[in-house]
Amino acid sequence: MAIYSIGRKRVILALLLTTVLLLTLDLNGNPVIDAGREGFAQVMRPVETATGVVTNPIERIWHGITDYDDLENENIALQEKVDRLVGGQAAAEAAVIEGKELQALNSLPSLSGIDTEVARVVGYAANNLDQVIEIDKGSLSDIEVGMAVVNQAGLVGRVTKVSLTSARVMLVTDSRYTVAVKVTSAADADADVSTNTSPSGLSPSEIADAATTTTTVPAPLGPFVPGVTLPDGSPVPETTLPGTALGPDGQPVIDPLTGRPLDAAQIAALLDALAATSTAPTAGTSADTPSATSPTGSPTTGSATSGSAPTPATTTTTTIAEIIEKEYGALEGRGRLRLPQIIFVQDSPSLSELVAGDLVETAGGSESLAPTGIPVGRVVNRAARPGSGGPLLDIALHADLGRLNIVRVVLYKPLSEVDQ
Amino acid sequence: MFAAFVQGPLVRVIPLGLILLALQRTIFVEIQVGGVIIQIMMATAAAAGVAGGSERGAIVGFILGVMFDLAEGTPLGSTATAMTVAGAVGGLLALIAADPHWWLEAIFTALGTAVGVAMVPLLRAFIGESEPFQRQLVVVIAVVAAAAALLSPLLVPLGRWCLRMRRPEWKQPVGDATT
Repeated sequence: MAIYSIGRKRVILALLLTTVLLLTLDLNGNPVIDAGREGFAQVMRPVETATGVVTNPIERIWHGITDYDDLENENIALQEKVDRLVGGQAAAEAAVIEGKELQALNSLPSLSGIDTEVARVVGYAANNLDQVIEIDKGSLSDIEVGMAVVNQAGLVGRVTKVSLTSARVMLVTDSRYTVAVKVTSAADADADVSTNTSPSGLSPSEIADAATTTTTVPAPLGPFVPGVTLPDGSPVPETTLPGTALGPDGQPVIDPLTGRPLDAAQIAALLDALAATSTAPTAGTSADTPSATSPTGSPTTGSATSGSAPTPATTTTTTIAEIIEKEYGALEGRGRLRLPQIIFVQDSPSLSELVAGDLVETAGGSESLAPTGIPVGRVVNRAARPGSGGPLLDIALHADLGRLNIVRVVLYKPLSEVDQ
Repeated sequence: MFAAFVQGPLVRVIPLGLILLALQRTIFVEIQVGGVIIQIMMATAAAAGVAGGSERGAIVGFILGVMFDLAEGTPLGSTATAMTVAGAVGGLLALIAADPHWWLEAIFTALGTAVGVAMVPLLRAFIGESEPFQRQLVVVIAVVAAAAALLSPLLVPLGRWCLRMRRPEWKQPVGDATT
């Protein structure tokens, strides 16, 4: 057995001093260390790939044992959600198109003009402190430190380190993460949206049959990324950001459920069917959008079923709720298993109180690398604080950060950094 | 010098470290216990300390820690310091018993690992990171230490193999043969 001695103490001391030296060099930025990381990543890649292949069956067995019940419950919940979304989607997309046209008319900044780079998540942080993922695209794909990363649901994080072919992304939940956000009110949005497109009492297969004939014009999907597919084999659209839609400007119109582009005849037929089944009289709306106006003056849209099968007709009647920008603040991550929080906010009596249910999106700004309008999440809890500190808002993120597979890096530079 | 290198622990520690690191970054990220990632590399550093003493444990911890920092992108030296301490503490605790039973080795490995895991946020605070101490730190330490204890019957012999050591054999002195 080892005997403790002065000499051994010196060895331990020398090692600790070496780590302090390395730490100092690294924190000050050292090209040798950076090159060392690059080289080590190259060495590790094949070992990690081989280990992944070997351990994959064990992982599957583990998840099979531990996650089966959760998966089953989640499946049921997702089916319910799909039912609701199928109905709401057509209305939402029409509203987005209308919003985009209004933005274009007013020359307001829009997310649809910003390029993105699709990347695959190749690893999660292996410690219990950092909330970091690694993606398989780097500086060769024009990715730079600070760029925002999103998925189809919303904001995921930002790039913190970039190498040639990979990059590290700090997730929104990391305690070091902060981003400027705005809180907008979608109050009563749920109450205003009356959707009867989920045919109650139908089996999932019947719902699927009805859903495949639902018109969606135009779908928020662009050209697909070659060579990148989701786990279920469906293609990954190339350029869209969450919260954006492509207008009727030549982009392919995709059925979001089947993932297949529709041809002109199908679109025309579906538009006719859409106009025919709209439940409200139309007045005062753009002729080239499938939207109508309800008796209350709010725009409404419809989705229709076609074909000879006796599937129940589905109609969506949606009142677009007025969006109120309530307050700007800073969203901070708070670490693993804890909801991010918004600080530096105050209630504004002239607008309305900050309440659970309010929507949160990035605020942008002249120096922010996250453009304005990226959906972040929804306020789920409000904690009042004494004094002038203002309330704290807990945010449930739209993006499920535990199951990231395909993400998009927003190739956006603020005006302050664009070369003149 | 070459012979010394070949016969030294590095030849075995580095390949073992690569494999452990790959396991840490793949299967142990997936197989979490109560949302906690088991720190197999930290446990190995502590186990090497238990097997070979504080000096060798610290060396193994240092090497594994540097590899971890290089791969994970954490500040180089931050995890290495924690793993060095874990190896040293494991070795120091092993001095309590001359030839510890397996369950004592498990306890020493768990304690060394716990100290190492607790060191990580401490070091992050030292380098200026905001709020590195999280509420669930106690849970993280407990789970990782328990896992280290369970894995110690594997990891301590692995540490011995790395360090080219054999389990000490205690022989009865010749003069005491009749007693």
